[in-house]
Amino acid sequence: MLKTEREFGLFDAIMMGLSGAIGFEIFVLLDYAYFQLTGPTIVSALLLGGLINMLIMLSYCELGAAMPKIGGEYTYIKTAYKGFTAFISGCFRWLASIFGAALAAISFTRQLAYFSLILSPAVQNSILAQTPLIAVIAVMILAALEIKGAKKIGAIVVIAFIAIFTIFISSGILRGLPPVEIFPKTLEGLPGAFAATVYMFPMFFGMRSLIAAAARIKNPGKNVPKGILLSALLIIPLYVALAYVAVGVVPLGNYNEPFLNLAAENVIPEVGGALFAVAGMAASLSALGTSLAVQSSIIRGMSRDGYLPKTLLSIHRRFGTPYVATISGSLFIMILSAIGTIEFLGYAASFGSILVFALVNLSLLKLRKDKPYMERPFKTPLYPFTPIAGVIMSMALLVFPIFIDVNAASALISGIGLTAVVLATYYIRMMGRYRLQIALGGAGLGMGISLLVLMGLAEIGFMSPMFPYIPSYVMLVVSAISIIAGILNVTTRG
Amino acid sequence: MKVRKTLVALVGMLQSIVAVLTVIFALGLHFNFFSVQALSNGEIELSYVHLTALLVFGFFSIISGSLLVQEWLESR
Repeated sequence: MLKTEREFGLFDAIMMGLSGAIGFEIFVLLDYAYFQLTGPTIVSALLLGGLINMLIMLSYCELGAAMPKIGGEYTYIKTAYKGFTAFISGCFRWLASIFGAALAAISFTRQLAYFSLILSPAVQNSILAQTPLIAVIAVMILAALEIKGAKKIGAIVVIAFIAIFTIFISSGILRGLPPVEIFPKTLEGLPGAFAATVYMFPMFFGMRSLIAAAARIKNPGKNVPKGILLSALLIIPLYVALAYVAVGVVPLGNYNEPFLNLAAENVIPEVGGALFAVAGMAASLSALGTSLAVQSSIIRGMSRDGYLPKTLLSIHRRFGTPYVATISGSLFIMILSAIGTIEFLGYAASFGSILVFALVNLSLLKLRKDKPYMERPFKTPLYPFTPIAGVIMSMALLVFPIFIDVNAASALISGIGLTAVVLATYYIRMMGRYRLQIALGGAGLGMGISLLVLMGLAEIGFMSPMFPYIPSYVMLVVSAISIIAGILNVTTRG
Repeated sequence: MKVRKTLVALVGMLQSIVAVLTVIFALGLHFNFFSVQALSNGEIELSYVHLTALLVFGFFSIISGSLLVQEWLESR
């Protein structure tokens, strides 16, 4: 049973923000950003990410203080834009949780593989070979625990992490670090640094978990903004210092071990790597459990509002937990953790949340216009420039990396595909069969004609075939069926 | 009307079958079930873009085909 009385003070609020932000992401996202995208300039990329996060969080402060209710972002967007936009934001938030959970499952497996090296290289090799299977098993176990209603250990994990990271940073500084070039030397280095900022952005936005718990915080008008801003401020020096020390002790190269574990091996000999592996595993499992709970809460909220089937609200008779919602989300997470790569999942989780950030900033602008007399205990400074800058930065974070990293392009295009599925789901629920049939007929007609045009362009050599492994006559038949089905659906009489 | 009924049944069933095959083909290429990747002669690696395009096409086509089949069943 969820308690909704206001029981948490400012300290608890800050701990909630930090427990959301300090997670497994740092153990998994730094690797690709450092070794592939930008090198030592990840330090400045992280600083930029932290500052952008601060900018966006100012809008969260105003809305969180004005509407300290269950539902967080979904509630703000629903208040500002009503039905469809709220549904879309709920879906993006859900997708971000699902991608994040899959990333956490893979991160757990990597840290387990590293830790098992202590036992024997053979054990490590077999774990690495079975990464998808182990990730799926981890999801299944966590889903079972979620259904049974296991307690969370968020605050303890946060304190332990801050302690471990502080020991790592201070040991690194005492050991002495070589000078590191943390800013891009030339203009050519900027795109890589910006792509790294986007890729590593999930390291910051976990602090939104504070917003989800705003309904339980005392004096929310003051404590919610203070909690968000203080946790956002604390996390920046922590991450920047951590990356600075890690970059200082691990030169660029090809390694099999995770970057942060390698750095810990150098800074704290003998125990450092293993300590970080245990911390990484704990963080990954904790994040996996949180993501399962978050995704379940989002789809139940949307189900309650009539956007999704009511079955998702079913509660387990014995454990009193939402088992249908948990199992449904877990199936998606298992598929993604089995087929997804870290690079793809990192961008995908980032994109889903960035879209929600943009919508929250837009909601702030709309609510200021539509409800000027609403009580606002905290007002975003420099309005309207701050939320407008938040929207622009969100869009830049979303679009820019696709021009320089194929993984970002794949994640965005997949996101567009998933959005199409989301839109179809919405129309299935809200339009009724007759109108849906006409809409799908139009879509089918469009897809069939597009397929024919693409084939024609490939035939005359204007472009390379999109699916070279599918024979032309098969494509022709498929597009013909799609066009005829489209016409039949469009001309239906219901 | 009879021509439309027959066409709706035929195209609906065909589209549903093609859609299911598309989804199986996409997943087969990705996971290399039954050595499906050999069909492409290693010409191209199935990227997420291809996978998504095939899955979205399959998803839309399954619903579209099912709606036609349902229309035919209700008109009998």
